[in-house]
Amino acid sequence: MTSSSAPSRKALSKIACNRLQKELVEWQVNPPAGFKHKVTDNLQRWVIEVNGASGTLYANETYQLQVDFPEHYPMEAPQVIFIPPAPQHPHIYSNGHICLDILYDSWSPAMTVSSICISILSMLSSSTAKQRPADNDRYVKNCRNGRSPKETRWWFHDDKV
Amino acid sequence: MEHFEKNRCREQFPSSSFYRLVFSEIEEVGWEHLVKLADDLTYLSFRILDTKKQSHILEIHLPQNYPRHAPSISADVPYICELNWSASSRLNDIVHQFREHLGKLQEFWSILDNIDSILGVIDPRQPSRAASFRRINLGNDCSIVLSITAQSPRSLPECRFLGPSSLVNSLKKTWKRNYKRWMEDTPYVENLANVLETSLPRPSCVQNQQHQVECGICYVQYLPIDVELGAKSGSRPDYTCDNSSCSRAFHSVCLGDWLRSITTTRQSFDVMFGNCPYCSGPVAVKLNSND
Repeated sequence: MTSSSAPSRKALSKIACNRLQKELVEWQVNPPAGFKHKVTDNLQRWVIEVNGASGTLYANETYQLQVDFPEHYPMEAPQVIFIPPAPQHPHIYSNGHICLDILYDSWSPAMTVSSICISILSMLSSSTAKQRPADNDRYVKNCRNGRSPKETRWWFHDDKV
Repeated sequence: MEHFEKNRCREQFPSSSFYRLVFSEIEEVGWEHLVKLADDLTYLSFRILDTKKQSHILEIHLPQNYPRHAPSISADVPYICELNWSASSRLNDIVHQFREHLGKLQEFWSILDNIDSILGVIDPRQPSRAASFRRINLGNDCSIVLSITAQSPRSLPECRFLGPSSLVNSLKKTWKRNYKRWMEDTPYVENLANVLETSLPRPSCVQNQQHQVECGICYVQYLPIDVELGAKSGSRPDYTCDNSSCSRAFHSVCLGDWLRSITTTRQSFDVMFGNCPYCSGPVAVKLNSND
């Protein structure tokens, strides 16, 4: 649902292209532990496989992240969602949207795809209960027209999980 | 007043046929190589790639009576080539000659790059392509300053030693005794070690990091060549975070774009105030200095 309905995206700027190529090279040399970039020749959309860390609620589970880059990356955050089925987590909605401040208000160009991945894995790893956010149904219903999580006005929950 | 301005313009700006001539010659070289072009066509610069894909900026000053008189050229190279120029020569000929010249300099640069990557170079920290000297750490607070001849880079370099005089004296003696061991076909660093009868200390990691001059936002050294970037096309990082424990380098264009894209940035006249994306320390960037 979310993957096909992204608004018609503009091609990456030269700056965005250069930067993503560097990030991809760096990723290939030094990938974050527990992640695998699924090779495509689309620089603007990365699909990344996440393996739940051992000893956590998500051990031995594999999920897929979809990362879409805006024309003016890294001035704007990439759009990062789980491709459903998304892991059951108090900050992850069943449509794959993730409530994580660095993906929205707290993004900075000092961050990278790799650092985002590490934040997401640490968010999964610190979870103590496999459950959806309390407002899951309402939120997902509101997003039915294919709204990007970047258009949501996020109210960030506690940072314990 | 208006009249006066007009007259002045006429004096300053060359004829339309001159514009046509220069533009057609730029076309021959390729507009994609053009970095700068002065409004009155007295100055232009091209980005030229050498055989190793290193880019060089060739600056060309056109005299008023161009092309009867040869333009003057400059670039970040240890020495510039003599231009072969006739009244029928064109900008493309300059580019060709400069490319040939770059070819001749490849050996010089590969020796210097080799020195930079293997030895503890103290000075210059971020060498320009023209710099033909290197100050190299020898340990015990001693260093050697090598002046490498760009025309014959493999030959015995001129050298000077710096450090405590007792140690420097013994280094000088060793050099005097051994300089005949210098062989033009021996790898450069090996030559140095042979003549100095010592293995040269390797650089520390800290020094390596100081070569990093990529922009912390776009991750490249040179901005792309782009009409929108105007005079900033192809420029290097020109802003460094003032926080000494951060000291990240940025293109002011990139930092400005970032500050413009977030709501917490404050603006006073033409200066934007915000935070370094890395250390959150205060940064201030002049708006749109596109000229």
